Amino acid sequence: MMPNYSQLGLALLPELSLVFGALLVIGYDLAFGRKAALEDRCRASAALGSIAAVLASWHVMRFGFAGAVFGGVLTFDALALMTRLGVLLLALLTLATLPALRVQRNPAEYVAVLLFATTGFLVMAAAQQLLLVFVAIELASLSLYVLAGFDKTRPESAEAGLKYFLFGGMAAAFLLFGFSLLYGLTGSIELPKISAALQAGGNAPLLYVALAMIVVAFGFKAAAAPFHLWAPDVYQGAPPSSAALIASASKLAGVAVFARLFWHGLAGVGGTFAAPLDSPGWLTLLAILAGGSLLLGNLAALAQTSVRRLLAYSAIGHAGVMLIGVMVAGRSGVAPLFYYVLTYGLATVGAFGVIGVVERHTGRCDTLADLAGLHRRSPVLALCLLVYLLSLAGVPPLAGFFGKFSVFAGALQVGGMASSVGALTLLAIALSAVALYYYLLVLKAAWVSAPPPDSSRIVVRLDALPLVVAAGLLLVLGAFPHVVLRMFLIG
Amino acid sequence: MSFSVQLLWLIPALPLAAAAIGALTPRGGRTLAAGAAIAAMLGSFVLSCLALRTALVDPSAHLTHNFTWFAFGSEALQLGWLLDPLTAFMCVMVTFVGSLIFIFSTGYMKEDANFTRFFCFLSLFAAAMLGILVANSLLLVFVSWELVGLASYLLIGFWFHKPEAAAAAKKAFITTRIGDLGFLLGLLWLYHATGSLLFYDNGAGVLEADTLSLLITETTLGGLAVSTAIGLLIFCGAIGKSGQFPLHVWLPDAMEGPTPVSALIHAATMVAAGVFLIARIYPLMSADLALPEAPVNALTIVTAIGAITALMGACIAVAQNDLKRVLAFSTVSQLGYMMLALGVGSWVAAIFHLLTHAFFKALLFLGAGSVIHAAHHEQDIRRLGGLAPKMKLTFATFAIGMMALAGVPFLFSGFWSKEAILHAAHAWPVSQLPLAFGLTAVVLTAFYMTRLVAEVFFGQPRSHAAEHAHESSATMTVPLVLLAVATIALSLLAWPTPWLAQKLDPLAHTEAAHGHGLMILSIALVGVGLGLGAWIYLRKPRTSADAADPLESAAPSAFDALARRLGFDELYAATFGRLFFALAKLADAFDRLVWGGVVRAVAALGRWIGVVNQEAEDNVLNAGFDSGSETLRTGGRAYSATQTGDAHGYLLTMAVAFVLLVLVLVIGGAR
Repeated sequence: MMPNYSQLGLALLPELSLVFGALLVIGYDLAFGRKAALEDRCRASAALGSIAAVLASWHVMRFGFAGAVFGGVLTFDALALMTRLGVLLLALLTLATLPALRVQRNPAEYVAVLLFATTGFLVMAAAQQLLLVFVAIELASLSLYVLAGFDKTRPESAEAGLKYFLFGGMAAAFLLFGFSLLYGLTGSIELPKISAALQAGGNAPLLYVALAMIVVAFGFKAAAAPFHLWAPDVYQGAPPSSAALIASASKLAGVAVFARLFWHGLAGVGGTFAAPLDSPGWLTLLAILAGGSLLLGNLAALAQTSVRRLLAYSAIGHAGVMLIGVMVAGRSGVAPLFYYVLTYGLATVGAFGVIGVVERHTGRCDTLADLAGLHRRSPVLALCLLVYLLSLAGVPPLAGFFGKFSVFAGALQVGGMASSVGALTLLAIALSAVALYYYLLVLKAAWVSAPPPDSSRIVVRLDALPLVVAAGLLLVLGAFPHVVLRMFLIG
Repeated sequence: MSFSVQLLWLIPALPLAAAAIGALTPRGGRTLAAGAAIAAMLGSFVLSCLALRTALVDPSAHLTHNFTWFAFGSEALQLGWLLDPLTAFMCVMVTFVGSLIFIFSTGYMKEDANFTRFFCFLSLFAAAMLGILVANSLLLVFVSWELVGLASYLLIGFWFHKPEAAAAAKKAFITTRIGDLGFLLGLLWLYHATGSLLFYDNGAGVLEADTLSLLITETTLGGLAVSTAIGLLIFCGAIGKSGQFPLHVWLPDAMEGPTPVSALIHAATMVAAGVFLIARIYPLMSADLALPEAPVNALTIVTAIGAITALMGACIAVAQNDLKRVLAFSTVSQLGYMMLALGVGSWVAAIFHLLTHAFFKALLFLGAGSVIHAAHHEQDIRRLGGLAPKMKLTFATFAIGMMALAGVPFLFSGFWSKEAILHAAHAWPVSQLPLAFGLTAVVLTAFYMTRLVAEVFFGQPRSHAAEHAHESSATMTVPLVLLAVATIALSLLAWPTPWLAQKLDPLAHTEAAHGHGLMILSIALVGVGLGLGAWIYLRKPRTSADAADPLESAAPSAFDALARRLGFDELYAATFGRLFFALAKLADAFDRLVWGGVVRAVAALGRWIGVVNQEAEDNVLNAGFDSGSETLRTGGRAYSATQTGDAHGYLLTMAVAFVLLVLVLVIGGAR
C-alpha cells in the first residue's frame, strides 16, 4: 500500500499546531519579553499556548473518525479522537490556570515544554505501532521530567524531577525491552499483525517476560502499586501545574495507549477473568496491580497530613479503578474507562489549581492546615475545591460518580461477582467509603476549621475562571454523562 | 404561532432559572428576586397557553420528545417531555394561579426579612411542579415529585424559628416520604417488568396497549395482576402527596407556613400532583378492568380511599376554629372527591374538579391571607367577626369562593365539577356507597363554609385586631378579583357544552344525558347545608370569643372528637412513633456495639498500613535520597554516591516486583 502523505499531514495537523505554537511562544518571548514584567510574559505565553491548544482541538474535530491512517501506523477511532480532545481540554485548563499560579522564572520555556508534552500525548492516543508508541511515550515523558523539575528555586522541585526521571528511565527501558521481545516473537511491530501472530503461536516463556515488562511500564505510567513510589514525591515537589498535567492528561493518554496495546495487540494472551491463575496473562498481572493499588493508595492516603501527598495516594487508588477499567475495556467498551479518567483528570487539574492559587497567595500550601478556613478567605476557591473532591470521592450528581458507576457496572456485567474482576470491583466499592473519609478531611479543613489568625483574603478575579469552568464541567457531565458516552456509539 | 414539544422544558426551566437568581441575590435585592420570579411565571404562563393551543389541534395525540439520558451496558435510561391536553390544561392552571399567588406574596411578605429567599423557594416549587406536568417519564416525575417535597418542606418551615412551623415541615416531609417509598417501589417494579419508564414511546411506552396487555397477564401475590400491584404502589405516593386518608395528617399542620404557601400548596399544585399522577397513569390504573376475575381492581381501592377521605375531611372541618385549618380540611375533603372520581372511572371529572378547585381554593386561601394580614395574624375565627363592612372586596370575593366550594348552582364552576363527579359516582356499576358518601359530604361542605363566613365576616368584632382591620393593598386584592372572575368563568368549561371533557378525552363516548333527578337532589342538599348553617350561626351571631359553639353545646363529645381531628395524630404517635423510636434505639445500640467495633478495627488497620508505608518510604527508600538532596542543597556539587545507592534502591523495588510478576505467569502457565 502506498503511504498516503497528504492524509498523514491532515491527521497530524493538531500535533503541528502544538509544535508551531511552542516555537511561537519561545520566539515571541525572545522578541518582546526581554523587558516585560515576568507576569505579563507568563500571561502572554499562556495565552499563545492556549490558542495553539484550541486550534489543535479544532483540527482534531475536523479530521474526525478516519480509521487507520498511513498504513495503520495511526488509527483514528472513537478512543483516539476522544482521548485527543480530552488531553487537549486538560492541557488547556492547565495552561489557562498558569497566570493564577506562582510565576516560573522562564514562563515561555515552561509553556513550550508543556505543549511538547501534549504533542506526545496526542500521538500516544492514536499510535497503533510499537515504535511510534515508544517514541510518543518518550516525547511526553522527557517533557514531563523537565516540567517536574522546572522550579529551580525550590530543592523539592529538583528532587521531584530527578526521582521522576530515574524511575521513568527504568520504566522506559523495561518497555523497550518488552517491545523488542514482542517483535522477536511475532516479527512485527504493528498491533494487528502482532495479535494475529500471537493467536497462531503458543505461550512461550519469553512472552511472559515481555508481558511483565510492558505491565511494569504501564504500572509506572498509571502510578499503580508497586510502581507508584515516584508519585507522592513528584506530586509534592513539582510545581502544581506540572503535577496537574502528570496526574491528568498524562494519565489519560497513558491509559488510552495501553488499553489499545493490550486489547488490539495482546488480546489473545490476556488470560481469563474467572480463573486468573489457571491461564495467566496480562489480565492476571493487571489484577494484582489493581488490587495492590486500591488497598495501598486508599489506606495510605488516610495517614497523610500533606494535601499533595494525599492527592498522590488517592491517585494511586484511582489507578486501581482505571486498571479495572482497562481489564474490561475489551468486552464492555472503552467508553466508561475514558469517562472515568477524563473526569478524574478534570477534578485533579482543578484541585492542583486551587492548591497552586493558595500557594501563590500564602507562600505555601502543603499541609491540611494551610487550607484551613478557605471558605472565609475565598468562597469561590472553597466551592470549587468542594466540587472537585466530592467528584473524586464519587458523590452523585457529580461526574466522578457516573465514572465510577459505569466502570463498576461494566466490570460486573463482564465478569460477574465471582470472577477476579468482580472481587476487585467489590473491593473498590468498599474502599470508596474510605476514600470519602480522607477527601472529607480536606474539605473539613477548608470549610469547617477557622482560618489562621494571620491569614488574609485571597482575591481571585478572572484568573479563577478555568477553575470554575472545570467545576462546571464536572457538574454538567455528571448530569448528562451521555454527552460524552454517546461519542463512543458513533465512532 | 405553533409550539414545538421539544421546547416544552422551557416551562419548568424559567422558574428554575428564577430560583437560581433568587438564591444568588443578596438580601437587599428584593425587587430583583420578586421580579425575576414573577416574570418567569408569566413567561411560563404564555408558553403554557401556546402549548395548549398546539395540544388542542389534535386532542387525542400524545406529542412526545424523548432522548437518552445515559446508557450503561446495553441499557439506556430515557427521559422525555409529553404534551397532550392534560399536560397543557394543568400547566396553564398552575402558571396562572402561581403568577397571581406570586404577585399576592409581594404584598403579604413585604415585611419579612427573608423576602428573597421566599421567592427563591416559591420559584423552585413552581419549577418542580411544572416538571411533574411536562414529564414523559415516570423517573422524571419522581425526581420532580421529590423536589416538590423538598420545596414544600422549605416553604412550610419558612418561619423555622417558630417551633410549630419547624415541626410541621418535618411532619409533612416524613409523612409524604412514607407514601413516596411505595411510589419508588412501584417505579422500580415497573422498570423491572417493562424495561422502560417512558409513558408514550411509539408503542413501547408503559401506558401503551402492548405493555399494558403484558402487565395484566402476569399475576403476583394473592392473584393480583402485576399492573394492579404496581398501580397501587404508585397510588401510595399519591395518597401521601394529596393528603388522602390515612396519610392526611400532615396537611392541616402545613398551615404553619405563610399563607401564600398554603394557597400554592393546598390549592394549585402540590396536593393536585397526586390526582394528576393517577390521571396521567390512568391507562395503567384501569388496565385490570379488562380482567374478568381480578380479586380486586386498583381503581376500587382508589374509590374507597377517596370516599372515606371526602367524608372524613368534611366532618372534621365542621369543628375547627382556625380559619386556615377549616380550609385545609376542606381541601382534604375535596381531594377525596377527586380521587373518588378517578376511582369510579371518570378521570376527566377529576381533572375538571382539580382545575376549578385550584382556582376557588386559591381564592379562599388568599382571601384568608388578606383577612389574616389585616387582622395582624389573628386566625382564630372565634376572635374575628364583623369584617364584612370593613373589607368589602375581600368579603365579596371570599363569598364567591365559598359558594363555588359549597356547590351553589349554575353560576359557580365548583357546582359543575361537583355535579360531574356525583354523576360519575352514580354511574359506577360496583356500588352506590361512594355516591352516598359524596352526597353527605355535600351537605357538610355547605354547612361548614356557611359557619366560616358567618363567624369571620358577620356579627361583632370579637378582638382588638378585628376591630381595627382594614382592606388590604391592591397587590393583594387584584389577584383576589382575578381569581374570583376565573372561578365564575370556568363554568364555561362545562356549560353550555362539556367542552373540557371533549378536549381531554375525545375518544370517550359522549356521556348519557344528565340525570336531572340527581342534580335536583344535590341542589336540595346544598340548600339544606346552607340553611342549617345560616340558621345556627347567622340567626344568633357569636357575641364573645369565649362562648361555646352551638354544636359543641349540643353534642360536646362528638364535637370534641372532631376538633381533635379524630385523634389520628395521637394514634400515630402512640403506635408508629413509639415503634420507630424503639427501632431507632435498637439500631443505635447495634451501631455502637457491633458496627462501631468493626469500623474502628478497619480504621486501625488502615492507619497502621499508612504508618508502615510512610515509615518505609521515609526511612528505607527516601532516606538516602533525602540526604542526597541535602548534599545538593548545601554543597551543590555533583551527585554523590548516596544517590547512586538510592537509584539502586529504586531499581531493586522495580526489579523485584518485575520478577514476581514473571513468576506469577510462569507458575500459573506451568500448571
